[in-house]
Amino acid sequence: MKKSTKKLLAALLAMTMAFGLAACGSDVEPAPAAESAAETEIEADGEQQPTETAGEAEAPADAVVINFAYDEGVGDATREMIDKFNASQSDIFVESYSLPHDANNLHDDFVNKMVAQDTSVDVMALDVVYVSEFAAAGWVNPMDDLYTAEELDAFLPGTVSGATYNGTLYAAPWFTNASALFYRTDLLEQAGIAEVPTTWQGWQDAYEKVKGDVDYAFSFQGIQGEAMVCDWCEFIWSFGGQVLDENGTAVCNSAENIEATQFMADLIGTYAPEGVTTYAESESEQVFKEGKALTCRTWSGTWNVFNDEAESNVAGNVGMTFLPVSEEGDTGHSCMGGLDLVTNVWIDDAHKEAANTFIKWMTSEETEKEFTLISSQPPAVKAIYSDADVLEKIPFYTDFFAIIEAGNTRPLSPNYAEVSDAIQRNVHMALTGEQSVEDALNALQGEVEALSK
Amino acid sequence: MKTSSKKSAQERQDAKVAWLMMAPALLILSVIALYPVLRTFWLSLHEMSLKNPGSGYPFIGLRNYIEIFSDQRAMTDIVFTIKFTIVTVVLEMFIGFAAALVMNRAFKGRGIVRAAILIPWAIPTSVSAMMWKFIYNDQYGMFNDVLYRLGIIDGYKAWLSSASGSFMALVITDVWKTAPYMALLILAGLQMLPEELYESAKLDGANVIQRFFTITIPLMKRPLLVALLFRTLDAFRVFDLISVLTGGANGTESICVYAHKQLMSFLDFGYGSALAVLIFIVVFIISLIYMFFMGGDLAGDD
Repeated sequence: MKKSTKKLLAALLAMTMAFGLAACGSDVEPAPAAESAAETEIEADGEQQPTETAGEAEAPADAVVINFAYDEGVGDATREMIDKFNASQSDIFVESYSLPHDANNLHDDFVNKMVAQDTSVDVMALDVVYVSEFAAAGWVNPMDDLYTAEELDAFLPGTVSGATYNGTLYAAPWFTNASALFYRTDLLEQAGIAEVPTTWQGWQDAYEKVKGDVDYAFSFQGIQGEAMVCDWCEFIWSFGGQVLDENGTAVCNSAENIEATQFMADLIGTYAPEGVTTYAESESEQVFKEGKALTCRTWSGTWNVFNDEAESNVAGNVGMTFLPVSEEGDTGHSCMGGLDLVTNVWIDDAHKEAANTFIKWMTSEETEKEFTLISSQPPAVKAIYSDADVLEKIPFYTDFFAIIEAGNTRPLSPNYAEVSDAIQRNVHMALTGEQSVEDALNALQGEVEALSK
Repeated sequence: MKTSSKKSAQERQDAKVAWLMMAPALLILSVIALYPVLRTFWLSLHEMSLKNPGSGYPFIGLRNYIEIFSDQRAMTDIVFTIKFTIVTVVLEMFIGFAAALVMNRAFKGRGIVRAAILIPWAIPTSVSAMMWKFIYNDQYGMFNDVLYRLGIIDGYKAWLSSASGSFMALVITDVWKTAPYMALLILAGLQMLPEELYESAKLDGANVIQRFFTITIPLMKRPLLVALLFRTLDAFRVFDLISVLTGGANGTESICVYAHKQLMSFLDFGYGSALAVLIFIVVFIISLIYMFFMGGDLAGDD
């Protein structure tokens, strides 16, 4: 073998290795669940009845067949609803297109389809934070004509504003979720506190009285991830701050935001565990379940887990209330999550019409009630929270309704992923003390400004 | 009279058959390796944000690459990735070498030890990263418990909440996981060393240290370089460990994590592809450097 051939072969070999190994950089890898942008917090429900007929029933010969893509986290309940819809009429037949329980995965799948102008799905269940992105890219149809003003009033206001982009409705609220402050009823009683505190100061004072029994006043999520974005938004809202103002202009380094972020950072290591900057939901909930914290900020569905004796040391002693505010008399705003229903822009008019009929049916009070009963997902329709059948099954909705009614949406931006990433990096640096709060928020302001250009 | 340059009909026939036999492999390689890389390179020359289909994805030449060098975040990530690569690979080499030397001795239960040492390597990275995340937890983490009992720390710490703690945690986890792999590759090399050399050196009065530095080290150069090559490339492309353990927090974002974010979260296929190509080029250069030190031996047969 000649020397030059050998050299060539060596180079080729090196190339092949590099090809094979470098693939990571370009490959499509699913993001870990911890990073999930959606806080749909799907609760598995033991009483769910898996249906066998879904997807197997035959479509009537002259029916318009539409495909509905959704999250497997609510798979069984959704299939039950689809079957009901198919049985109720014969003009439209809905087929299931079930995707894994991971909001980012769903998002990537939908993006790929929309970019390829794929018409294999007609209706998509899209995480609320991505509605703006899809609307701005022109991948979903406006829904302005679908609901009358009164019909829209039936929904929780936060769910409607989350489904609206630039003044136009692009999505139908399907189900939602919101966070709440969970607290130890036994400790408040023991300390002789009759009124549940509403302010940060109130909770700090309460903690001083029960210090011997718990290590921390607060447990929340401060990890560099989507969970922290929700928490941080709630902190700044509680001080009157915002990420984007009414016109969509970045206002990240406002005095309110600096004050709120400083307060949040100061809690860490004093009133909250030093490790909250590494906590997502499960870690922060664990601290509360073990009885180490007076309160815990997390998603509403956790009520069941906290009150489950097999899993929690504090079962039976857990109450639910508004998130704390800085000024007495203000209302705490929770972050809202959940899934909206949108229609594919590439499908033809006949499918569009059928898809809209199906969406209208799915979001009707009657269907939403049934869906809530089998899935335990907080519905988007207000009236259901006071329905007797629902309250019997999910008693905490009595307290929860006022909380979710005051819910806010995370910043509505067509570049939500980038905005969220900028918040994650900069605010996390402020929380860990690697940067001063002011520097971090100035940097954030610069990044968000550049994104909204 | 035949020379090497004049091949017989038989040899030409053999070569033809050889190419024919290799054809399926080459075809598959070009479809699954060559095509994606070339396609990625092509995309990297375009402005292609999937969120902005109206732009028509224009060709912009090398502008994405120029942007990388003014992107503070990309630069920080590259520096971190290089630091991570050097620290982990050096530690893994020493620990792996030491473990291999021990395993190369004849002792009872050697087979079991060799199998057991591979367990960390066999666990999927994302699973072991989750496991270590529990270990570093500030409330119930074993890492705190052990150090506390040993009296090294006076209270539980949140290791993953600081830059130095996160870096240390990543290095420990990566070394724990891949030192065994290094040990195994080195062990394979050690077993090829001729016993006679050691015998005669012993007779000549060379002590253990002399034998190690004059026989083991020189003869181990090639297997060691192969092991280092694999580990360096792997370490430079670190993704899952960081993605799960720290999520890139506290300055631990590797360039692969950033590229993934640009591609899959921000949907910027142009810029993300440029980052991916950059990673490919760096990895390729690393491979060439190792090839150079190996003197092209990998390709030759003499």
